[in-house]
Amino acid sequence: MSFGLIDILQSLIDGILFGSIYALIGLGFTLIFGAMEKLNMAYAASSIGGAYVGLGLATLFSLPLFLVFLIGPIAAGLISILVYLVSFRLIPSTNHLGSLMASIGALFFIDEVIIHETQGSPLTFPELGIFAEAYFMLGDLGFRGDLIFIMIFGLISMGVIIYLLYYTRLGLATRAVSQQNVAARLCGIPIHTINISTFVLAGILGGFAGCMAAASVGVISPLLTIPITIKGLIAAVIGGLGSIRGAIIAGLMIGGVENFFLLVRGVNERDIYVFLLLFVFLVLRPNGLFGNEINRD
Amino acid sequence: MFSKFKKLKLATLAFATVIAGGAVADTIKIAGWGAKSGPLRSFGVNSEAIIKAAIDRVNENGGVKLADGSMAKMSYDYYDSACNAEQGIAIARKVASETNALIGIGPTCSGVAAASFGVFQKKVGDSSDTGLQMPLLTDTAVRNGLAKISQWTFRNTPNEPDMYDKLFAWIAKTNPNIKTIYGGTETNQGHSAGTYSKVIVQAAIRHGFEWVNGPIDEVSDKIGSGFKNVLSSSSNWLMEDTNFSVQARAFKKSGADLFIVSSHPFTTCGFLKELSRMKGMPKMMVGLTSSSSAEVMKGCPKQAEGMIIPTSFAPITAAAKEVAALAAANGGSADLHSAASWENVMIIKDVIEAVGITGDPSKVNEERAKIRDGLEALETTEGLIGTVTRVQDEGEALKPFVFVHAKNGNWEVLHDPRK
Repeated sequence: MSFGLIDILQSLIDGILFGSIYALIGLGFTLIFGAMEKLNMAYAASSIGGAYVGLGLATLFSLPLFLVFLIGPIAAGLISILVYLVSFRLIPSTNHLGSLMASIGALFFIDEVIIHETQGSPLTFPELGIFAEAYFMLGDLGFRGDLIFIMIFGLISMGVIIYLLYYTRLGLATRAVSQQNVAARLCGIPIHTINISTFVLAGILGGFAGCMAAASVGVISPLLTIPITIKGLIAAVIGGLGSIRGAIIAGLMIGGVENFFLLVRGVNERDIYVFLLLFVFLVLRPNGLFGNEINRD
Repeated sequence: MFSKFKKLKLATLAFATVIAGGAVADTIKIAGWGAKSGPLRSFGVNSEAIIKAAIDRVNENGGVKLADGSMAKMSYDYYDSACNAEQGIAIARKVASETNALIGIGPTCSGVAAASFGVFQKKVGDSSDTGLQMPLLTDTAVRNGLAKISQWTFRNTPNEPDMYDKLFAWIAKTNPNIKTIYGGTETNQGHSAGTYSKVIVQAAIRHGFEWVNGPIDEVSDKIGSGFKNVLSSSSNWLMEDTNFSVQARAFKKSGADLFIVSSHPFTTCGFLKELSRMKGMPKMMVGLTSSSSAEVMKGCPKQAEGMIIPTSFAPITAAAKEVAALAAANGGSADLHSAASWENVMIIKDVIEAVGITGDPSKVNEERAKIRDGLEALETTEGLIGTVTRVQDEGEALKPFVFVHAKNGNWEVLHDPRK
C-alpha cells in the first residue's frame, strides 16, 4: 500500500495520541524510580490488574460501568502497596537486583492470576462514553476523541504530580527521601510511609492508564501487560529516569515513532526501530532527555 | 476368618492369576492437552470441558467394550501445553513414555502441533526412527496440512482450504457486485497468518476476486502460492496490539469491496472498532474460522455485524445443541474447535471397540499401534453436524460446515452448503 504525506502525518498523530498511554505508564515508572532509585517492573501489571478488579467488581455488583474508572485506579493503588511490601519492603534496600527480580516475579504473578481468573479470555471493557465514538476531522486529518481525552488526562496528571512534589509537604518529604535517604530518616521522615505513598500515587495513575488502555480498544486482555510494560519502561528511560516531563514527552514520542515505522516498514519491523531509539539514547544520551543524577524531579 | 498368612497367600494368588492370564483393565486412559494458561487459555478450558462431558456420557452408557467383551470406564488426564511448543513437546513425551494413555487429544495451537508432531515417529514401523509411537487425534490446531508430519498424528479439525474455497465460490455466485479484496492478519499467530496468506487469499483469487491494488506477485489460485508476498501486500498487526489506526486506515483507503480480517477475537474486535470509528466498513467482510466464537459477540457485536465465517460447528442439530449445553454445564463453551473434542472421544471409543483392546498396561505399545491402525482405516465418522470424511493417507478430516454471519449479537447460519 502506497502512502503520502497525509498518511505520514496521520500515523504520527495517531501514534502520539496513543503514546499518551505509554506516557502515563512511563510516568509511574519514573515516579517510583525518582523516589527509590529502583525499577518496579510489576507496575504495568498492577495497572492492568487494577483495571481488571474494577471491571470485576462493577460486573459482580452490577454497578454503573463508569465506576470502573474509579474502582480500577483505587485497586491498582492497593495492588501497588502489595507489590511494594513483597518486592521492596521485605528486601534489603541495598539489594537493587533483588528488588528488580522480585518485581519481575510480581509482574508474572499478577499476569498469571489474571489469566487464571479470566481463563485468558479478553473481556469487554466499557469505553469512554461519548469520547469513544468521537472522531474529529481537521482537513484530511482525523483525531480520536478518546485518545485526546487520555492525552489531556496525562498532561493534567503531570501537572498534579509536579504540584504534589514541589508544593506540598508530602512532595518535600519524597524529594528528601529521594535525594538523601539517610539524612531524611535522621530528620524524622518516615521513609516507608513516603515510599508507600509514592507507590499508591503511581498505582492510581497506572490504574487510570490501565483503564484507558483497555477502554481505547474496548476489551481488556492479559496480552496488554507485557507490551505496555516494555513501552512504558522505554518511555521512562528515554525521558530520563526520574524525570516527569521526560516520561510524558518520551511516551508521546515512542507512540509517534512506533506508528510511523508501522506505516513505512510494517508491523514486523515496527518495534525494531523503537528499540533502536532506546539504544541510541542509551549510548549517546544515557540520562535520557531530561534526567540526570543531580536534578531528578 | 482367614489368617493373615492365608490372606497374603490369596492376594498373591489373585495377583499371579491376573499376571498370568493378562490383566483385565477396568479403565481405559486417554490424555488430552491444550492451552490452559496464557492468553489462549479459554481454548484448553473449552476442550477439557467437552472431553469431560463426552467421557461422562460414555461412562453413563456403560463404558467402552474391551476385546473380551467386558466393559471398562474411560478416564482422562488433561495437561497444560500453554500454546508453547517446548511445553507441548514435553507433554507429548511424558504422556507417551510415562503413562498408560492409549491415545492423546490435542493440542490447541497450530505452532505447538507443528513442533510436537515432529517428535512422533514419521513412518510407522521405521525402526531407525525412535520418535514417539502413540496415536494423537487433534481437536483444535487447525493450520493446514499438519497431520501428515507423522503417521501417528491424526486430526479431526476443519479443512480450511475446502471451507474457504466453498465460501468464496458461494460469495462469487450470490454477490456479483463484490469484485475486489483486501485484508490483513496478526502475523505472530501461526493459524491466523498461515490460513490468511496460504489459504484464504488464494481461495478468493480462485473464484475470480481481485486484489485491490492489482495482482500480487507469485500468488495464484494454488494453496500457499506467494504467501510471503500476500503478507507484505497486506496491512497486518500483532496478536497483542491495541492500536490499529494505521491498519484500519489502509483498509479504508484500499476501497476494496470485501475485507478479509484473519485474526483471533481480541484483535479482531480492536481492529473492527477502529475501522468502524473511521467509517471504513466495506460491503462485505470475511473472518477467520476461530473468530466465530462467543468472544467476538461479547466484544464487538455491532462492529462485527455482517462478518461471514465458515465454521464446522453450529448448534443446528439436536446433537450439536446437546453438546453446546453440556459444554456450558461443564464451564466451557462449544465452538468449532472444542466441539471436535466430543467427536474425538466418540471416535476413540468406536475405534477401541472395533480393533479389540484389552487395556492391559503391559501391552500399551501394541494397543497404541492397534488404535493408530484403526484410526487410519476410518473412512467416515459421525460428526455433530453431519458425517465427517476421513482423508486416510493424510490423517485429516473433511468436516461438514456452514457459513455463519454476525447478526444482532449472534452467529447465525447464513448458508448451509450441505443442502
